[in-house]
Amino acid sequence: MTSVNAMEEMDTAERDRTSEPIGCADVRLPAGLLGFEHLKEYRLIARPGEAPFCWLQVKGHPSLAFVVIEPFHFLPDYQPDLPQPDVDFLGLHSPEDAAVYVIVTVSGPRRATANLKGPIVINRRTGLAKQVVIANAAQYSVAHPLPVSANAD
Amino acid sequence: MLILSRKAGESLVIDGRIHVKVVRVEGDTVKLGVLAPADVPVHRQEVYEEIQRSNQAALTRQSAVLPKLPLPGATPPAPVHHQTTKQL
Repeated sequence: MTSVNAMEEMDTAERDRTSEPIGCADVRLPAGLLGFEHLKEYRLIARPGEAPFCWLQVKGHPSLAFVVIEPFHFLPDYQPDLPQPDVDFLGLHSPEDAAVYVIVTVSGPRRATANLKGPIVINRRTGLAKQVVIANAAQYSVAHPLPVSANAD
Repeated sequence: MLILSRKAGESLVIDGRIHVKVVRVEGDTVKLGVLAPADVPVHRQEVYEEIQRSNQAALTRQSAVLPKLPLPGATPPAPVHHQTTKQL
């Protein structure tokens, strides 16, 4: 994915509050996210000290963001079954083309859940992405608890 | 709401581009086939609404303090002695 500098669109308050991103990429979701169909342009941002979490930030609205994570960090055997129309839409030719992230709901320093039914699948080559309702959604939870450490600040 | 009767094998056409076919009726379950352009998302309503609610709960308006997630990947993986499975 194209690496770009995210700081140019961050306002001053945002810059003061956050460390400089260590990684950043443009992500296009032409269909938006479910419930946010009108928001189509995002930046995927990794900040120091926050791995393995990343931010999916709405372009032009730096304060609107989703926390995301690659599910394989906490669930190595997660096997999202992508419907063929979605594979075609995203232009995925091999499994390596796809980056898979799930959206995290942070309820506090000791509770966070991940939505495993609707992962965000990104074509690494093009940045084209979609929130895919996986064909095997029935096997997974929309609020899978993350094994966050109890001694977090 | 428009209500139409259809038999197994019969279809509806919506907007000239979305075809909904009754494939089979088994007891209280109706199997539908949907043929729609790639830009028309089709979802089971309950799954769609569940994910929609989850997305709305997940949206943060400011950079929240993130919890710490101990990473198994932070320690080097155990050595693999032999690997016969093909990697895709």
